[in-house]
Amino acid sequence: MNISVDASYKSLNKHHEELCGDKVEILKTPDSSIIILADGMGSGVKANILATLTSKILGTMFLNGAPIEECVETIVKTLPVCQVRQVAYSTFSILQLFKNGDAYLVEFDNPSCVFIRGGRLQEIPYQEKIIEGKKIKECRFRVGLNDCFILMSDGVIYAGVGQVLNFGWTWNSMAEYAVKATRTTLSASRLAAILSKACDDLYMQSPGDDTTVAVARIINAKPVNIFTGPPMNKEDDAKVIHEFMRGPAKRIVSGGTSANIVSRILHKQIKTSLNYTDPVLPPIATIDGIDLVTEGVLTLTRALQLMKQYVEEDVDEAFFFELDKDNGGSKIAKMIIEDCTELHFFVGKAINAAHQNPGLPFDLSIRMNLVAQMVDYAKKMGKDVTVQYY
Amino acid sequence: MVITICIGSSCHLKGSREIIQILERLISLHNVKDKVELSGSFCMGECTKGVCVKLDGELFSLQPATTEKFFNEEVLRRLA
Repeated sequence: MNISVDASYKSLNKHHEELCGDKVEILKTPDSSIIILADGMGSGVKANILATLTSKILGTMFLNGAPIEECVETIVKTLPVCQVRQVAYSTFSILQLFKNGDAYLVEFDNPSCVFIRGGRLQEIPYQEKIIEGKKIKECRFRVGLNDCFILMSDGVIYAGVGQVLNFGWTWNSMAEYAVKATRTTLSASRLAAILSKACDDLYMQSPGDDTTVAVARIINAKPVNIFTGPPMNKEDDAKVIHEFMRGPAKRIVSGGTSANIVSRILHKQIKTSLNYTDPVLPPIATIDGIDLVTEGVLTLTRALQLMKQYVEEDVDEAFFFELDKDNGGSKIAKMIIEDCTELHFFVGKAINAAHQNPGLPFDLSIRMNLVAQMVDYAKKMGKDVTVQYY
Repeated sequence: MVITICIGSSCHLKGSREIIQILERLISLHNVKDKVELSGSFCMGECTKGVCVKLDGELFSLQPATTEKFFNEEVLRRLA
């Protein structure tokens, strides 16, 4: 068994707070993915520091293979003590998912992880342990394809308390909603966005507490290959295409000349459409056996914008509306963000003479720069990325 | 008759989309939809001059402003 993990999270800050008191870390080791959610006591700066310290300490120690006992001990002895309450405190959840299908879940005072399998809620058989006087729940189990896990801070289960709902959303109602939402969404990021939106609505857009959901879904490895730019030496054309076409993967060709090379080497015709689904971007084309064929630099610029927004800014329904659009840029971004675990770039370094024209209103000779930025953002999304230059 | 218009990056920036719209308008204006087909193509390697358009295997470099002249002088002439 060789599974991949699609992980994503979304936080809402308590109203009037600039910093969130919840912190999520998503880490990769060679044989596992680790998702850590820490909720610092209080709100604002203090909570943010507590949560950040907790998640960073847990992350670093876990990466180096420390047992949970040592991690908890370190946290208890390290966290600064709150002047008001005279305790050092941050709740946390840790979920470690191994590529071989083993899983390890540890929770301290956070709402329990929601575990969904085959469209149903699953019980997690926790065992309890007392470490440094704190009750820690842990569980080791096996995961399967399409399993879904949702970690959360208590702001989620209390969403709407005393306002829209007497007792807040409650764990059971939240879990039930999550089960339904899991059936209609594919990616972790979409599910996290939907759950977070529900919390925000229950709080009537003014959250009474920091509210965070972190989602991990077990998926098959999904490689995506992108070929962009003609190679420096024409003799390398066949070699690039051979490597680009090797193995199972979704394949994107971005660039007119690149598409012509693919067409020539594979002896397949390019069918170009004249359907301008977006006035600013050239239309897409099709080549038999290639999943997506687009124009190059302009389209990649658009895809990069969306990837950047996904990583750096607020991802809401409007973002997914843009991502679902039928233009080359959205299509590339969507494939990378939602349908990819490993991204392989095949980049030719030849420079198109026509693009060196100072009369053009846009600098077209920026392919290398675009690729470098896309690689950066894809890595920030937790994808495994490789780049091969020709 | 097939008119192939380059929609590659460079030609796109020089106005392929506008040229396609002008040609579509002229085609329906002269009622020659059944005789003229528009198609797109990625880079045809002539982008330094203008938007690259291919008609009966012959290459032309157009701008939106010269498109109507091209249609009248080349397309209509060949259809006549």
